[in-house]
Amino acid sequence: MRLRPKNTCRTKRKPKTSVSDQPPFLSISGLRKSYGGREALRGIDLDLQRGEFLCLFGPNGAGKSTLLKIVATLLRPSAGQVNLLDYDLQEHPEQYRAQLGMVSHQSFVYQDLSVLENLEFYAALYGVKQPRERSLELLEQVNLLDCCDMLAANLSRGMQQRLTIARALVNDPTLLLLDEPYTGLDEHAASVLRDQLQLLHSRKRTIIMVTHNLRRGMESATRLGILTRGELVYLEPKKNIDQAGFEKLYFQHLETV
Amino acid sequence: MSSLRQVRFLLGKDLRIELRKKESLVSMAFFGTLILVMLNIANGIGRQVDAETGAGILWVAIIFSSVLGLGRVFAREKENGCVAALLLSPVTAGEIYLAKTLVNFTLMLLAELVLVPVFYVLFGAQLNAAPLTLLPILLLVNLGFSTTGTLVSAISAGTRRNEVLLPILLFPLILPLTALAVKATSGALAAKPLTALLDQLEPMAAFCVVFTAAGYLLFPFAIRED
Amino acid sequence: MSTLNRTTLFPALAALLIPAAIGMVFFYAPLERTMGSVQKIFYFHLPLAFSAFLSFTVACIAGIMYLRKRQRIWDARLAASIEIGVVFTTLVLITGSLWGKPIWNTYWTWDPRLTTSLILWFIFASCLILRSAIDEEGKRATFSAVMAIIGFIDVPIVFLSARLWRSIHPTVIRTDSIGLESSMIVTLLVSMTAMLIFWVGLYKFRVALHLQEAKVNDLQTDGIR
Repeated sequence: MRLRPKNTCRTKRKPKTSVSDQPPFLSISGLRKSYGGREALRGIDLDLQRGEFLCLFGPNGAGKSTLLKIVATLLRPSAGQVNLLDYDLQEHPEQYRAQLGMVSHQSFVYQDLSVLENLEFYAALYGVKQPRERSLELLEQVNLLDCCDMLAANLSRGMQQRLTIARALVNDPTLLLLDEPYTGLDEHAASVLRDQLQLLHSRKRTIIMVTHNLRRGMESATRLGILTRGELVYLEPKKNIDQAGFEKLYFQHLETV
Repeated sequence: MSSLRQVRFLLGKDLRIELRKKESLVSMAFFGTLILVMLNIANGIGRQVDAETGAGILWVAIIFSSVLGLGRVFAREKENGCVAALLLSPVTAGEIYLAKTLVNFTLMLLAELVLVPVFYVLFGAQLNAAPLTLLPILLLVNLGFSTTGTLVSAISAGTRRNEVLLPILLFPLILPLTALAVKATSGALAAKPLTALLDQLEPMAAFCVVFTAAGYLLFPFAIRED
Repeated sequence: MSTLNRTTLFPALAALLIPAAIGMVFFYAPLERTMGSVQKIFYFHLPLAFSAFLSFTVACIAGIMYLRKRQRIWDARLAASIEIGVVFTTLVLITGSLWGKPIWNTYWTWDPRLTTSLILWFIFASCLILRSAIDEEGKRATFSAVMAIIGFIDVPIVFLSARLWRSIHPTVIRTDSIGLESSMIVTLLVSMTAMLIFWVGLYKFRVALHLQEAKVNDLQTDGIR
């Protein structure tokens, strides 16, 4: 088994982003996760300021999805802490989750409910003040207003993907987590997603995206990270590196695995 | 307060889907009727049953048909990863547990509205028609079955063999409840007053209380991924 | 070398004590007046029943500890105790029936104790089936912990309701008024001790085996990656 000094990623992210005088919006420290005897995450430290857009790259099995699932409260960390503002993930899970949105591999949509019913249901769960108005507003943004009474099961694939995006935004999340969101999206859904992400980013929402699609990831991120073998081996503001340089670095890291 | 609201939303969502598709309810009532007919034939056509046998037959039909509905309760949530979506939302696992228990309770009650009359038609010639003494027994079993069943179905839905494992895991646990229900029902079918059945009804209520508490506490472990 | 000694200590002790107990049962303990030689099975039946119940208690505690600590060792303890519990309960049911046939004139009756043992057997055997159906280690451990806890909670309820519903069948017997001679008590104590030591030996073996299985599994998945 390969051993590394524990503080590798700490030293690498010494040059912090410019706004580091504020307390971090999302703070992850010493995060570890093991399945049985296998370590999926080996000590992740990461601070994000409000409005940052972090894009994490890494090969399959690097622990990207695990990291995202822990931040999303779907998995329990073996060790370490996650704080969102002042809400400790373990101690105030409900307040923490109310701020969260997530797009995952799965659509999270009920096949036997209509498009509008799906959104209204989730809006109600999140305690949105006017669930119907909020749902209609989102459906307009993702171009689904015309088919709001269709059952989700009858939607085309692309339409379902747009519904998935709308669903994740129903509570106007302050922290949005995206797990390979562009995989399998058609052109229309991909452009809807990009527009929505830019809109959220301009409204100072914090976003973490996990992908191995370099082009998509680079186009909107403000910070880039590389995760291999459960460790954050690279974490820098995007302005510090150009696309070609990053690609070269990324493939170097891929080869060391 | 908001907790009750969440439970209501979850319950409303499930009942709306059920009303639209009617898949659980129809299969429960249909399968239960089928069991009753088969047992009627197995008993020998034209032969009457006494209260004890009748009670056993009724509960075999109800328990076996209810497992069908119970299996769907979580299978539906698993379809598009919706369980994860619920766990991501501010809803607590306890609220999900209560909502799912209520869904199952309602489905069982509706199926019984069909099964009990069918039972009387097929077997009731010599039995006392005492729907009012039967009602508390039905409600208690529904409650005990739903609280235990919701926990177990969350477990079995997390495995690859949901449909097979659910009855295997559930039936041993609810065996005491079933046995008490059969005894109480045979009393009711023999025209005993409700007060004479308290010996069975009280431990049945205790079963419900214990398993509601245990289910509520253990459910978060059964539904989470880690 | 020292670990080898520790794991073989209890089996070695059991290998000495069990033959000794068998010897005492047949050559030291007196013949019971009414039941005759059939009564001798009782010296195995009772220790087996006690160890079986001990297994399920350990399983419940291990389940609670696993849910709190999420450590592999507690899952190994849980799995080991359930396996042994199921085997021992099977033996309890068999020895009980063998005794019941000549004494009660039936292999099976719905006596509360018999009923409780049978339902316990079903609950914990279903736990083993559940374990065989799940591949992911964490999920398997969590789910079987939940089932072990809720199965254990069921025990008093089963016992209580078995007393209430048994009047469906005629009650054949009461077992609790067998007068024991002191030499019988000594024999019983020896066989009880032998059985408990045998239990501990088995338990340690199974726990070690489960831990090793998990380690092998780790190595295999590491190899694939």
